[in-house]
Amino acid sequence: MTGREQLLDGLYAAVLSGDAHRAVAVTREGLGDGVEPTVLLFEAMIPALEEIGRRFETGEVFLPEMLVAANAMQGAMTILRPLIVAAGVETVGKFVMGTVAGDIHDVGKNLCNVMLEGAGFEVIDLGINVPGPTFVDAIRELEPDVVGMSAFLTTTALEFARNIELIEEAGLRDRVKILIGGAPVDQALVDTVGADGFAPDASSAVRVTRSVIGLS
Amino acid sequence: MTMTSRERVLAAIRHEEPDRVPIVLGVSNATGIKMTPYRELKLRLGIAAPDDYLYAWPELGTAAIDEETMARLGSDVRGVLDLEPASVLEANRARAPHADYIDSWGSGATEIRPGDWFPMVCPLRSATTVEELEEYPWPDMDDPTRVAHVAEEAARLAAENRFAIMATPWLLFPLERAFALQGMDTFLMNLALRPDFAEALLWRIQERCKILMGHFLEALGPNVDIIKIGDDLGTQESLLMSPDMYRRILKPIHADYIAFIREKTEAKIFFHTDGDVFPLIDDLLEIGVEILNPIQTSAGKMANLEELKARWGDRLTFCGGIDTHRVLPGGTPDEVRAEVGRVIEILGPGGGYLVSSVHTVMNDVPAENIMAMVDAVQEHGTYPLGRGAP
Repeated sequence: MTGREQLLDGLYAAVLSGDAHRAVAVTREGLGDGVEPTVLLFEAMIPALEEIGRRFETGEVFLPEMLVAANAMQGAMTILRPLIVAAGVETVGKFVMGTVAGDIHDVGKNLCNVMLEGAGFEVIDLGINVPGPTFVDAIRELEPDVVGMSAFLTTTALEFARNIELIEEAGLRDRVKILIGGAPVDQALVDTVGADGFAPDASSAVRVTRSVIGLS
Repeated sequence: MTMTSRERVLAAIRHEEPDRVPIVLGVSNATGIKMTPYRELKLRLGIAAPDDYLYAWPELGTAAIDEETMARLGSDVRGVLDLEPASVLEANRARAPHADYIDSWGSGATEIRPGDWFPMVCPLRSATTVEELEEYPWPDMDDPTRVAHVAEEAARLAAENRFAIMATPWLLFPLERAFALQGMDTFLMNLALRPDFAEALLWRIQERCKILMGHFLEALGPNVDIIKIGDDLGTQESLLMSPDMYRRILKPIHADYIAFIREKTEAKIFFHTDGDVFPLIDDLLEIGVEILNPIQTSAGKMANLEELKARWGDRLTFCGGIDTHRVLPGGTPDEVRAEVGRVIEILGPGGGYLVSSVHTVMNDVPAENIMAMVDAVQEHGTYPLGRGAP
């Protein structure tokens, strides 16, 4: 195994096991050795994230392990992100994310952000308790391909319909795909509120997002 | 033969068929009704009663249901609750409007828009060492104002001997408290990355919980039928943590807690745990859980009521099962009645089932659906089942 392969293996293992400290250290070491940022991202970190997502879907790991892997990824991404942007690497698409007004739950949303960023999306997180007009403004100003809205409660899930109405009233509905997520969300709710789809968990968010914007 | 509510509940928990399936509503947050539907209920029923809150805690938003409404709902239990220390209640009453609500643990809630409070004040969010836990100002569980009212209330209910007495101290739950102190995501990460620290925090919380639980049970004396504890272990689709992690870290804590309670009371152990906890039911039974709540039918394998009843129905009493996810907020009264009938038909045979909503009846539930739920119990829940109303 070459030193480069060893390094990529080390980064993969660090993200997979959620060792944020080590993920950052190996990322720095790789960059110091002249490894391309995109190589670190696509050949080590993303495969690790995909593997943890796969293990989550099959019930081999649970939320704690997912969260620490995402956290390790985020740590390394703070170093890589500006380098990748500076290198002019094209993103797969632009994703605006937020937890709806009246709701503060963000564990699932934050996991989705990491998975999406890992999959090459530019993710802009509007945070929690996001008023409907803020989603509308973000669509107008940032022109994302996809907007993701998250709600944990049946009461706050009512915001999905209100926000989509606002987006329609602003004449922006046909410019953006809308995904919803959170505990009360299922296909029936997607149909009721007029969204384009939903992801039952963070690991499937990437698949659903790629599918609604016509990527395989 | 008509039974008293208390006889009805106790028979069901003994896995005998009482005269009808008991109803558990309004005695805790998890079996409670939020203020908006409670007001609508009172209006509908022509009942004039004050808008009081459970635990004297408006920010929680769950109504303390008046006796007339409890009777109309047919609730077969009455609750005995603890309170935050008088000094904490007073400090919160006297604080600036819309300022954070801070409880005796130092954690608290922020008002993100008028009337909507969420647990966002997490004083141990950045803690990662046992030393930080040692330095933390843990709450005084010996403050007598927490339980000063308990003995008298429980004795009154026992003297009346009409309703089953359910003791529901507020959140003496180790995992939930750890979430409140650290934030859910932070504590879950600590479980994975710093299991020794996470375990130390849980045991530290447990120590405080046991002190207050001890005082609470002492004040209750023999005047209690059910004691509610719990910890949310499930998500919509599976468990919050691996079964292995639960068994390694949290199960010994829950076992220790239940053993501690068991030494002091004969009351039945009512364990509240949201989400799909199917893979842990054998573990919960093993450590002494007798009543499982809230049977979240919208979450994963908990939808499979037939299997729950077949596998555990002879040893475990189920409390809950009426969906607050879609049916109660979004269904018609007819749909609510049909769902209550369906659930009773599966969980009701042989006793061992107490009807309740899956967690709190939230502000999006119309009062007519609450009435449809309780009226359907009279209609479908009379034993022998399947014969309709008497």
